[in-house]
Amino acid sequence: MSEIKVKAGKYKPAYPGQTIVAENRRKYLDPGYQLKKLRSISDEDVVRLLGHRVPGEAYKSVHPPLEELGEPACPIRELVEPTPGAKAGDRIRYIQFTDSVYFAPLAPYVRSWMAFWRYRGVDPGTLSGRAPLEMRERDLELVAKELLETEVFDPARVGVRGATVHGHSLRLDENGMMFDALRRYTFDKNTGEVVYVKDQVGVPLETPVRVGKPLPEEELKKMTTIYRVDGVSTRNDPELLNWVKRIHLLRTLAGFRLEKAEKL
Amino acid sequence: MAEKKLFIDALKKKFKEEPTDKQTKFYIYDGWKQSARKREFVEWAQKISKERGVPGYNPEMHLGGIPVGQRVLMPYKISSTDVYCEGDDLHYINNAAMQQMWDDIRRTVIVGLDAPHALLEKRLGKEVTPETINQYLEVVNHALPGGAVVQEHMVEIHPALVSDSYVKVFTGNDELADQIDKKFLIDINKQFPKEQAEALKKAIGKALYQVTRVPIIVGRAADGGTISRWSAMQISMAMISSYKLMAGEAAIAEFAYAAKHAEVIQMATLTPWRRARGPNEPGGLPFGYLADIVQTSRKYPDDPVRVSLETLAAGSVIFDQLWFGIYMSGGVGFTQYATAVYTDDILDDFCYYIADYVKKKYGGFAKAPRTMDTILDVATEATLYGLEQYERFPALMETHFGGSQRASVLAAASGVGASIATGDAQAGVNGWYLSMILHKEHMGRLGFYGYDQQDQLGATNSFAYRSDEGLPMELRGANYPNYAMNVGHSGEYAGIVAAAHAACKHAWCVNPIVKVAFADPTLKFDWTEPRKMIAKGALREFMPDGERDAVIPPH
Repeated sequence: MSEIKVKAGKYKPAYPGQTIVAENRRKYLDPGYQLKKLRSISDEDVVRLLGHRVPGEAYKSVHPPLEELGEPACPIRELVEPTPGAKAGDRIRYIQFTDSVYFAPLAPYVRSWMAFWRYRGVDPGTLSGRAPLEMRERDLELVAKELLETEVFDPARVGVRGATVHGHSLRLDENGMMFDALRRYTFDKNTGEVVYVKDQVGVPLETPVRVGKPLPEEELKKMTTIYRVDGVSTRNDPELLNWVKRIHLLRTLAGFRLEKAEKL
Repeated sequence: MAEKKLFIDALKKKFKEEPTDKQTKFYIYDGWKQSARKREFVEWAQKISKERGVPGYNPEMHLGGIPVGQRVLMPYKISSTDVYCEGDDLHYINNAAMQQMWDDIRRTVIVGLDAPHALLEKRLGKEVTPETINQYLEVVNHALPGGAVVQEHMVEIHPALVSDSYVKVFTGNDELADQIDKKFLIDINKQFPKEQAEALKKAIGKALYQVTRVPIIVGRAADGGTISRWSAMQISMAMISSYKLMAGEAAIAEFAYAAKHAEVIQMATLTPWRRARGPNEPGGLPFGYLADIVQTSRKYPDDPVRVSLETLAAGSVIFDQLWFGIYMSGGVGFTQYATAVYTDDILDDFCYYIADYVKKKYGGFAKAPRTMDTILDVATEATLYGLEQYERFPALMETHFGGSQRASVLAAASGVGASIATGDAQAGVNGWYLSMILHKEHMGRLGFYGYDQQDQLGATNSFAYRSDEGLPMELRGANYPNYAMNVGHSGEYAGIVAAAHAACKHAWCVNPIVKVAFADPTLKFDWTEPRKMIAKGALREFMPDGERDAVIPPH
């Protein structure tokens, strides 16, 4: 895992805002901050959820190991140490999350920013209702495990969904669970845990995967990176508002009055 | 007005729970069977499959056996009307009024008559009088739908197939207008409020324009590019016949140019190779032209929000549902994006709220300083108000398909607000872009991938006028490079343009000639109220132009 993680350095994520939401954004982005582990999911269960290979199956490759490949002389190649998955020639595979608007720990942009700040060899995507993360397969499994086991995942308000992601903006059900048309997971009323019965693209699992108990809303409100009027309102974070307005003003002026933008 | 929360009635009809409830139920609605429209589709599909022996529509094929309808398949209220319909009724292919909306634009070409009249008089020695003009109009109304006028032994077109085709004229000269046979005249004095009529007549002056409505079936058989050709051919034939011209003398070449090409106004420009279409296709329709085509300002001259919302609805159908959704993409997904701005009174609520804010803070419409401070203020307020409604009323958040809709609705309210405050469409679109990045930072999410591109760099070109860098908003369209890939934007931009001019009480946005051409009561689509027409289409109460019954077996 250490070969995939970005080492914390002198640069810290600079995100504006004076509220707990802004603080959480800065915290999750910062590679120097250790994400709190809240649950344990075995390596095999992570592989099952991803659905790219059967646990124990060898990784498929798209090219020979770099050592055998005989790469051309290239200063960038010398500068950047390949990740283990890249060295081995793994396929690029994905995990995709859906984060509920109802105080999920992360939101798609924060997921992407976090991925860029914390991990090497990542290709995140950012949409309103889903956030794909693509990496070499063995690297992905390590990162997926961290994303599922730590405070940035909540079993009820974050979904692992490769397809048919609809649900981020829908009300929660009677068990506090986010809608999933494919019903990949169920709420076990006996244990209070969420259990995945299908992998991320909806293929039924022979062995269900338990991902733990949902967190109480009051806890989520302290952990979330989402501004909401019934949580932390943007109106109460003038530093953030003014920063956004300044960005907009600079972009606007740069388009046709560059000399004015330079003076701001 | 916004204190009433205009969207509440729709939310109560759509969902069992109170709009403020935070929980609901899923997976209990019996899939597609909860929808009368889907049941009808299945019934038809089974009949068709039996007849043709090839299976077709079958909602059980959805998601490998998990049909749509795992959540409630809610109805949609067409904003500002009392009409509720199913989402399916708003797909362009399912809605005859939407088809008529575009057919009306594509089949229209405006051709000036002054150049050919001057040539007839000065070069060919013919006399042009109101009587000859009326005579010509009789002839061209025979010729344009497909009647022969010059050659013997010609084939002609069955009038029943082209009953939608005709020619009318208009002028800013009251004296001339009085002498035109009323059945051929678009009467500016009759169609527009007095102040607007005076402004339009002054702009148009003594010029005489003919509005040609080429048969809808021609546009459908070929494309918009053929409309001006068809029009030109039949106009020149009618002129040759009416004025007894010699077919072939050298002067006829000059006349043909004057009559067919010199004063032609297409509704849309052609598009470049990678999105190639001829003129009069939706990709080349400027926002300002659409804002002129929509006629709401005639009926509601004091309500710039209404003018904007009606334009916006028409734009969403034409640009999103038709251009992006059918021409550029295909399939069924785009309808969900486009309908958000004209259903459930959501955008209406947000726009009327910000209009009230503008009135109170700046003393009326188009009275605020045209400064960045105004834009920052108005667009921020519109965005935060809208976000707060989505969060206070979870059913409101849920009624949208997803974040792209939310983003476009909020940005539209912000753009309309900035337009109404300043009377400037450029300011309006700049407000749109502020809304987008505010929304992104607030929710940590925005729309689908495309919103990253268009809406992050949009601010930078929003005030750019120079060629290759920008254009006045009125002259941009869905084909503007930065706008060419994204659903949920172009219709809204047309609404932002309309808002600016309606706030200033202008009689038109960019072209007075286009404005008058669509003030035509013969059109079956009522351009003063596009949303009402869309609703009629959804209820299957809209009778469109164009049909083939006359040449197919009875059915």
